[in-house]
Amino acid sequence: MAIARKRGYSAHATILGKFLSAGCLGVFLGLFVTFVVVERGKGFGAIAAGPWTGWPRSGTSDTDPYTRAILAYSGEMSLSESEGMSFVAHGDSNGAEFDPACDYALKGEIPSARYWTLTLLSPAGAPIGNTAGRPGFTSSEVLRASDGQFEITLSRHARPGNWLPIGDTSKFILVLRLYDSALDAPATALDAANMPVLVRSRCE
Amino acid sequence: MIQIDRLLAALLWLLGVLAIAGITHIVAVFALPEIVAKDTFARISELAKPGRLTILPPPRPDKQVMPFADPAMVQSVCPFDLSQGSLRLHADIEVGRLLTFSFRTSAGQVFYSMTDLAAQQGKIDAIVLTAAQLEIVEAEDDEDDPSQDLRLVAPEPQGFVIVSALALYPGDRADAEERIKSVVCAVEQVAQD
Repeated sequence: MAIARKRGYSAHATILGKFLSAGCLGVFLGLFVTFVVVERGKGFGAIAAGPWTGWPRSGTSDTDPYTRAILAYSGEMSLSESEGMSFVAHGDSNGAEFDPACDYALKGEIPSARYWTLTLLSPAGAPIGNTAGRPGFTSSEVLRASDGQFEITLSRHARPGNWLPIGDTSKFILVLRLYDSALDAPATALDAANMPVLVRSRCE
Repeated sequence: MIQIDRLLAALLWLLGVLAIAGITHIVAVFALPEIVAKDTFARISELAKPGRLTILPPPRPDKQVMPFADPAMVQSVCPFDLSQGSLRLHADIEVGRLLTFSFRTSAGQVFYSMTDLAAQQGKIDAIVLTAAQLEIVEAEDDEDDPSQDLRLVAPEPQGFVIVSALALYPGDRADAEERIKSVVCAVEQVAQD
């Protein structure tokens, strides 16, 4: 009788243990997946064009929950649809992550917009200090060739022409913002050919 | 037989784990913006008083009010709390200079936005209201002389407006700040009788 009761208790304890372990592991797994998704920073609405990623609907009220969570996590006040669009590049056109020890050339088309700005930031979204005091370029600042083409050189060391200093950092990203752009339509299918390419040249 | 039982029990346990993980994930994704919203709004309220347009300091490597901000943009913020009255926004637009307006909830979600291109006769006149305030204002409308205001109903009583001006050259910053300072953002009482 006593043995049977004891067995009953231990059976209850095992079941309780199973529930508890399933609960804890489930909560942990759920939070972990959420963290990974948010940290990776890719919602369903993202569109990619070459090295650039953009969120056409990020500023609108019908943003998907993932994009909303990602933006909330990063603290970014994303541009609204009528203000323009922003694109982020974490690496060059070959898919390799940016290396501050290398030089990069940005050239090619920029989608039509009233103004654009190109900014070099840390992955967390902070500006990176540099001795030249230049955080980026605007569409008016950039020096162009007679045919309107231009090239921006990213480097740690002073370069002739449009030099965007990388500064003292181990990681950086590029943000391209198009203000009052013709890309406002949410259904925009972006073509990599219409976005500037990022080519790595020499490294230290 | 016992082995199959064990296998089934383990499978059931695994399903339980996955179900709980799924629920936690969904709840976390939806809860995150709400949690962060309080933080964002608190940070903004610290810098700016409701019904007042305050220019934010330019982002620096060690300190930014909003991460990923464009250093070429002079940003200002005007928080509002509609329980204190509606919010009026007026701007005289200088042609050809980028000025953007985004009306956001406390979580930073945009409910309306425009640029200087939306100006009519060189002016932007907007009023942010609750649904109840809109009813009062509409009841007072003069049919012969309709108001030119852009009336925006905010989804929640608290939020903020971000007004930004682009400085195309570093030397244009002071000029961009002047353009923002000319924008009026003020609390307006809606007659409640």
